[in-house]
Amino acid sequence: MTKVFTDGLSFALPLLIMAIGAIYSEKSGVTNLAIEGFQGFGAFIGALAAILIMPRLSSSSQLPIYIAILFAAVGGGIYACLHALLSINFKANQVISGVVVNILAVALTTFFTSAANTAINGTASNKFILGVSSRYSIPFLSKIPWIGGLFQRMYPFEWIICVLAFIFWYLMYRTRYGMRLRACGENPQALDAAGGDVVKTRWIAVVISGALSGVGGICFAYSIMANFSPSIYMGYGYLAIAAMIFGNWDIPSTALVCLFFGLAKAGGQQLCLAMKLSGNYTDLFNMLPYVLTMLLLIFFSKRNHPPKACGQPWDQGRR
Amino acid sequence: MKEKKAKGLAGLLTSERWADATVSVLAIILMLIAASGILLLLGKNPAAAFYSFLQGCGLAPKANYGGGSGMLSDLFNYLNILAPMLLASLSFIVAFKTGLFNIGISGQMLASGFLATICVGYAKNLSPWIAKPLVILIGIAAGGLCGAFIGFLKYRFNIHEVVSTIMLNYIISYLTGFFINTKYVDMLTRSSRICSANARLTWTKVPIKGVSCNIPLGIAVALAAVFVVRFIFDKTAFGLELKIVGASRSCARYAGVNVRRGIVMSMALSGAFAGLAGVVYYLGYTNTMVPKTLPGMGYDSIAVALLGNSSPVGAIFASIIVTIFQSGANYMSSTIGVAKEIASLITGILLLFAACGEYMKALGRRAVERKEDRILAERAAARTKGGEER
Repeated sequence: MTKVFTDGLSFALPLLIMAIGAIYSEKSGVTNLAIEGFQGFGAFIGALAAILIMPRLSSSSQLPIYIAILFAAVGGGIYACLHALLSINFKANQVISGVVVNILAVALTTFFTSAANTAINGTASNKFILGVSSRYSIPFLSKIPWIGGLFQRMYPFEWIICVLAFIFWYLMYRTRYGMRLRACGENPQALDAAGGDVVKTRWIAVVISGALSGVGGICFAYSIMANFSPSIYMGYGYLAIAAMIFGNWDIPSTALVCLFFGLAKAGGQQLCLAMKLSGNYTDLFNMLPYVLTMLLLIFFSKRNHPPKACGQPWDQGRR
Repeated sequence: MKEKKAKGLAGLLTSERWADATVSVLAIILMLIAASGILLLLGKNPAAAFYSFLQGCGLAPKANYGGGSGMLSDLFNYLNILAPMLLASLSFIVAFKTGLFNIGISGQMLASGFLATICVGYAKNLSPWIAKPLVILIGIAAGGLCGAFIGFLKYRFNIHEVVSTIMLNYIISYLTGFFINTKYVDMLTRSSRICSANARLTWTKVPIKGVSCNIPLGIAVALAAVFVVRFIFDKTAFGLELKIVGASRSCARYAGVNVRRGIVMSMALSGAFAGLAGVVYYLGYTNTMVPKTLPGMGYDSIAVALLGNSSPVGAIFASIIVTIFQSGANYMSSTIGVAKEIASLITGILLLFAACGEYMKALGRRAVERKEDRILAERAAARTKGGEER
């Protein structure tokens, strides 16, 4: 039971940070299917930085993880500029732009991972071996019955994500920029009339979206995958988008949805182990979050309120 | 005061008839430049690399061939992968013209390919004359049902088709993966058992001019599908209704078009083409299914549709070009020594430039406007000058 909570939380938090990225972009009025690409590219840059720095440090050092997270955020942010350029400045169709960015991310990272591996150690492998981040339990809190599992064997990045999630919740709901960002997705004309800069607001939002997705990606690379390879494109970016829609574009509700996804996934795996089913059955349990999303969307999507201007290119002359 | 039509690139970009085609050609040229840049950075000769892509597809002769194969067999292999690509891009086009995004082509391909494989591919003693049409029918039915379901979710429950298709993609991928792994796995290759020759949509090892060729039936299906799509959208009231729904939902409602029916029918049609692509891909080209792997073709086909300006005939040219890189990558990789992943990189770059189409057109318009302004200014200057002289 505690293992369900431990694993569930370590899956839910990276998902949450990607979902917050998606919320930022969509709340500013830019449809974002590119989360999958952002997280993969961010993780690629982070993993590359970690691989380059690792030989200079002692093997037990945990420093590469923090450097990787930093670089993943920077890499994801820079890569997000592509989506911003296409969908804000070039007025391309935002869904198509998202798909383009995803396809290009898969191609770029796969190609350059093998190229980088050839350059560094002469083997054309498509993996960066990262290992799994070390884990810590919180004293006292982890001893609580039932929910103590939430505080056991935590990855350090889970704390970073919690702090980031709070900062970006604050930025969106309690600051002037957040107010403008939300206005930008509902009625950009009103924002323009009030003296705001729609293009700038959206650009910042999309870059934040890329940076946060990059953090989510590298966290998956350091926990579930233990390496960076093309298998990072498992569809977790899309799952984050599902969480965002299911959470009605609202950060606290999305956090609950992500936790629910994480617990459903971890619970399914533990159930599978407990019932002594063969490994093949994990596929059925992996399917669970997607089936649940579909079912729950059927019940809740009528009440959903997506940002009104989401998906429309900004046209100053329109009324 | 109507000026003479603008000439040059800007003129082409602003002309109603040629703008889309010009954008595609520009995207291809820019892609070739970018790809050459990458190849030069890697220290390879771009011209040689592009030529070996062509050689790999059987469009140019190779230096030497293995026993029993020739340029013709390479060409037929190329056509074999071209067919599902064309069908998949038609699937995207049908939905796109109705204002819907079918991102789930991969999933629909997988579902139909899987069903056709287990229903017909593993059946014994079925005559090819029954098996092959049955495979195609199952493909259409399975894909069409998937698509109709997505359309139903869209109009009944207001679930955006992008979300539901993505969810369905993963559900189908895991579900078929589970059944392949537990029931239909080939222990040696870790993918599904190969299906019987009678059910395959390829005539294997047909000797033509001394070389053995695998003749794809899918290419005939794909070309027929192009004309079906063209006919529906250009000649029928139903196609017009779909286009109206795509242009403006409220306008369609006002004109008395049944929008709900349009959405469901369009997704069903789109799914049917994706299903066809699936059976042509799995029972024609690969002949086996790797569990839990969505075909990347479902996404690449969006590139093809975009490059072909979402017109069925344009899709033929676009898929010919995109497929050259995908199909020729193996040979290019073995002769030039660049990782074969560069094919998908090239597709991605091509897609990127094709997505900039609106921007290119805007640049063209701006150039034309600037030119007109200059002419007007010159004329005004000449007039004032003439006035002074008088």
